[in-house]
Amino acid sequence: MLYDMGTAQRESLVSLTCLEVQELENIFALLLMGSFVGLPAPPTFLSVELLPFMEKELRILNQRAEDSHDMLAEIMGNLGID
Amino acid sequence: MKILFFTGKGGVGKSTMAASAAWQLARKYRVLIVSLDPAHNLGDIFDVTLKRGRKRFTNTLSLEEVDLKKMARAYLTRETKVLTDTYKYLQALNLDHYFSVLKYSPGIEEYALLTSIEKTIRGEKDFDYIIFDTPPTGLTIRFLALPQVTITWIDRLMAIRRQILEKRYTIQKIRRPLKEGETLNEIQLKFDENEDDIMQRLKTLHANYRQLTAILQGKDCGVVLVFNPDLLSLRESERLIEGLHDLKLPLRLLIQNKVTEENRKNAEQVLSSLRASAKTPAPASYVALNKALAVSGSCLYDIPEDLGANLEY
Repeated sequence: MLYDMGTAQRESLVSLTCLEVQELENIFALLLMGSFVGLPAPPTFLSVELLPFMEKELRILNQRAEDSHDMLAEIMGNLGID
Repeated sequence: MKILFFTGKGGVGKSTMAASAAWQLARKYRVLIVSLDPAHNLGDIFDVTLKRGRKRFTNTLSLEEVDLKKMARAYLTRETKVLTDTYKYLQALNLDHYFSVLKYSPGIEEYALLTSIEKTIRGEKDFDYIIFDTPPTGLTIRFLALPQVTITWIDRLMAIRRQILEKRYTIQKIRRPLKEGETLNEIQLKFDENEDDIMQRLKTLHANYRQLTAILQGKDCGVVLVFNPDLLSLRESERLIEGLHDLKLPLRLLIQNKVTEENRKNAEQVLSSLRASAKTPAPASYVALNKALAVSGSCLYDIPEDLGANLEY
């Protein structure tokens, strides 16, 4: 049981960093794939060139777009504020 | 191998000058002339059809017209193939839809242009000179700037990517090590730079564009500026010289086309102000307006003025 408590603590420690990574990946995807969601795009061919490897980033981008109507709640949830 | 780009405002006679220079150089060297202008007229000048790829005009002179639309299509098909290979299992995102958007993007055509230049420069070993007849100024400057703009972009993207990988590494370290025989439900994310596909791809692209920039700025490469003795052509040429200077691309030769007895004075003025705006001195040639040649339309490439002498460097 002690072991599992340790795990839980570790998880809560990394959760903020996880969030940060996710945001960074979101930004990365936005910079590269901005044209897909209506942002002015960087050199298009770069997007095409990297598209095959961008699965995870695209998923995050999608998720962000879906959640965007309730941004505040999401931030609260992520930061553990009830 | 020497590489020359013939640039200038539309209608000043870029293609004709490029063809003449190629014809003259071909007396001594093996020359390839490539037209990048979507409105090709290289074939018209030499009075042959180039629809079906490269053609040998003489033993030492080869002609080619690049089909940009076809190149863009081929490029997209190639990328789609990589894409479907990587995404075999992933249908949910409907990526075909994304691709149909990319087809209409203007960036693709410039990229296709750059790719075709790159392919020619890297692939051809059998020629002493490669002459590119470029599309009008705006597009030319844009695609010549492309490698350098891209490098800046890739640098920024690599910085962000590196940050992501570092954070992933931290997370990995803080989380407890796996018990023996245990597997995680979620996909293990790569945090090593050498294992991350995106980072690898970015690095490859970076090296690629570095190399291309080095070739374009190198001593074997040069830009030839063609202009006419009139104000519009002067202004545009000045902008072009400025653009080339910003990109650190060397100017090799100034050619003033369509000079006649009446506009000779004008021509000298135009040339001197262009020389003043060019930071590095470049030789200049005058080419007279030859009415008989323009009307008869045969052997347009055979002009009396010697352009080759200034291009042997």
